[in-house]
Amino acid sequence: MHGQMWPSPATAQASVLANDWLLFGTAGLAVAVIVWGLILFSVFRWRRKGQTEGPLPPQFDSNNPLEIAWTAIPLLIVLALFVYTYRAEADVERLAPKPDVIVDVNAYQWNWTFAYQGGPTVQGSFADPPQLVLPLGETVRIVLTSSDVDHAFWVPDFLFKRDAIPGHPTSFDLNPSKLGTYLGRCAEFCGFDHALMDFSVRVVSSSDFNRWRSAHHT
Amino acid sequence: MSPIAEQAVAPPGRSDLLGWLTSTDHKRIGTLYVITSLGFFLVAGALAVVMRTQLARPNSTLVSPHAFNQLFTLHGTAMIFLVVAPFAVGLANFLIPLQIGAPDMAFPRLNATSYWMFLFGGLTVFLGALTSEGAADSGWTAYAPLSEIKISTGLGQDMWIVGVFLVSVATILTAINFITTTFIYRAPGMTMWRIPIFAWEMVATSLLIFMAFPSLAAALLLLFVDRHLGGHAFDPSYGGNAVLWQHLFWFFGHPEVYVLILPYFGVVSEIIPVFSRKPIFGYTGLVIAAFAIAGLSMGVWAHHMFTTGAVDDPFFSFLSFMIAVPTGVKFFNWIGTMWRGSISLATPMLFCVGFLMNFLLGGVTGVMIASPPIDFHAEDSYFIVAHMHYVLGGGSLFAIFAALFFWWPKMFGVKLDERLGKLCFWLLFVGFNVTFFPMHLLGIEGMPRRVFTYPDVGSFPLLNSLATAGSYVMLAGVVAFAWNVVVSTRKRDPVGPDPWEANSLEWWTSSPPPEHNFDDLPPIRSARPVFDAHHPEIAKGGAG
Amino acid sequence: MVALRLFISSAVFSSVIATAYWIFSKEPTGTFLLGVMSFGLLFVAGYTIVAEREADLVGDRPEARPVDAAGELVGTYSIRSPLPVWTALAVSCVGLGIVVSPAVAALGVVAMLIAGVLFILQSR
Repeated sequence: MHGQMWPSPATAQASVLANDWLLFGTAGLAVAVIVWGLILFSVFRWRRKGQTEGPLPPQFDSNNPLEIAWTAIPLLIVLALFVYTYRAEADVERLAPKPDVIVDVNAYQWNWTFAYQGGPTVQGSFADPPQLVLPLGETVRIVLTSSDVDHAFWVPDFLFKRDAIPGHPTSFDLNPSKLGTYLGRCAEFCGFDHALMDFSVRVVSSSDFNRWRSAHHT
Repeated sequence: MSPIAEQAVAPPGRSDLLGWLTSTDHKRIGTLYVITSLGFFLVAGALAVVMRTQLARPNSTLVSPHAFNQLFTLHGTAMIFLVVAPFAVGLANFLIPLQIGAPDMAFPRLNATSYWMFLFGGLTVFLGALTSEGAADSGWTAYAPLSEIKISTGLGQDMWIVGVFLVSVATILTAINFITTTFIYRAPGMTMWRIPIFAWEMVATSLLIFMAFPSLAAALLLLFVDRHLGGHAFDPSYGGNAVLWQHLFWFFGHPEVYVLILPYFGVVSEIIPVFSRKPIFGYTGLVIAAFAIAGLSMGVWAHHMFTTGAVDDPFFSFLSFMIAVPTGVKFFNWIGTMWRGSISLATPMLFCVGFLMNFLLGGVTGVMIASPPIDFHAEDSYFIVAHMHYVLGGGSLFAIFAALFFWWPKMFGVKLDERLGKLCFWLLFVGFNVTFFPMHLLGIEGMPRRVFTYPDVGSFPLLNSLATAGSYVMLAGVVAFAWNVVVSTRKRDPVGPDPWEANSLEWWTSSPPPEHNFDDLPPIRSARPVFDAHHPEIAKGGAG
Repeated sequence: MVALRLFISSAVFSSVIATAYWIFSKEPTGTFLLGVMSFGLLFVAGYTIVAEREADLVGDRPEARPVDAAGELVGTYSIRSPLPVWTALAVSCVGLGIVVSPAVAALGVVAMLIAGVLFILQSR
């Protein structure tokens, strides 16, 4: 399984999400560098030694055009960021009219059940964490719920999580785009073994998926 | 002279226990809040060091899962309810009447009642650790159904509910005092547009407290009813709704974090001008920004719920992005204050610069996670832990230290040692960033929060060890501060009324002030009455 | 004047947000909370309008000097009272008692009643 610093986007949705990270990360870094620069510049440029020597510096305390500018410009920037975000989220959360595979995922203290509709049910245990097998390039609908407390289904390489809330089933689509095995974790504190609820997701080719499915069908 | 009659009773000496128990003097009460919150800080910090020690290595068995869950629950609860907020309340208690030229708060006995309720509430939360099943262990957020009786079976959770409820009521009562005092008890000439920025921030904070805390109180009551009186508000098997807890909690929880930062925006707004030898830049903008932040913060609560799929993400995302604008305005105002000033990097100013550097990063990551697509990955990961600690630790905590070094002379009549102060700053600044910066990377890489251990994969072990090392450096910084207090108290260098050449009214009177606060008042014709009195050639006065 | 502007703008802002929230999300919990908040702020704003008519605080006069406020007895207040710590103890007993022991809770209620009576007597 993976071990690198930055998750590698493994679904079509994750690619959109990764672009969001890139945009915001870059914008954030730029803002941080500029403002840190201004702070450090002022501190070093106008630093004095000692407490209270010398005449007072110019006692200005307002500049209306400047203040309007530094309100209006950030406002425009965040509005642009919001529009981008809105579109990206709509893209990621879109539900296909007819998914190829539907899996009912149930979280419970402290493991997972992956019940493929029309297919096998994968039951996790402490000794044998469950593995969610998914077909490359197809649309997978996850219907997520919990039987006891809040949990969360998180696959870092999908850059995505959804909370599993009892009494509140929720659905999302995954379009796996890269073969491989990916770590999954519970990401909502759920008690003693919250840290020990890892699962895995294995993306295989469509034919391998069908083979796996018929082999495990009980 | 003060027009309000008073009883002529001597103030309590340092060893007069009964005097301290019965005092309604805002300065005593403020001091009690400050000392008590620092005490809780030491405890909550110790809990954090234990957690970091457990997390230094993967698959560590130093601390059991049950113990670990209590540790982060108590750490979060204490830092938020018993340290950062009460310290601000204590500072405000001490300062507001002085800064507006009043002899005390509007309701002195209510003020004292708030303090003692806070103390007993805080002790109640910790008392849970002595019960058979231990302290509350469902996080400071106590999500239902995890916190329901079926799963959190112990008394500790109930004591958490009672303790937090007591602290909540105390906080609401304090907010009443702050608003009334600030609006009604200002000295002649101290118009609302001349009160210090710190006082304005406390007005905004108090307004937020009114609007937010009742929701928490309701949530706590409902949880209690669920646990012991047959209620099922949050239990879906009986028609209850687990998402309801999140709405009620976060409707309080988000404004709460602004309660935890606005006073500290006020602190740096007081200190930066003094050590730049210039007035605060953009006074009006700062005031409007404070209320813009407060107002907007009431509408963003469900950005803590983006991953539930149960809320209108764009609504909350939009308002969350908007909060960045007034916050940015404040940052530019602080930079504008330093710009072309005459800057002295005394310890209070060092901590303010540290605050600016740290909080900026916290603010930037905040704007990132205001975007739901980003939050889908970052939520409940160490990225969030990094974000929250940069704003609360790098922000509020640094401002707490700035405030301590700045107002210690006024409160206790002695100055804290400057060299030890600088040592404390550098240990905390380096330690803090080494602890929390790696957590951004841990979160992105896929480490969830509230886990007592983690597998030996990727950079998890390295980054976690780094974070733990940083926490020990922070510990050293705290020890340096404690040592500073000991040394400075022993040295007892006396301090005059205005050791920093400052601006606001508290620096007019002696250090510490007499019980009635002021023997006389300077003319108040601007937001810097003490500065004006010392610099008549520059004072705005009648010409301004 | 400042208080008035503050509360009115808060009330208006809150009402707009509450309405927008309902329109966008149709979510009852948040709408209820925002609605209660708006109602509360409107109430405070209304009260402030009435209160401000009569107000003439010496603190609001920009040219006032300390001597302008001298002489009149505005009120008295205590600088020492055992009631705060007593009341806090009583309330804590009630809270803790509800969870741990009804006897302690009853004790707390009695202590609160005593405190209430004494507060009223002290304020006369």
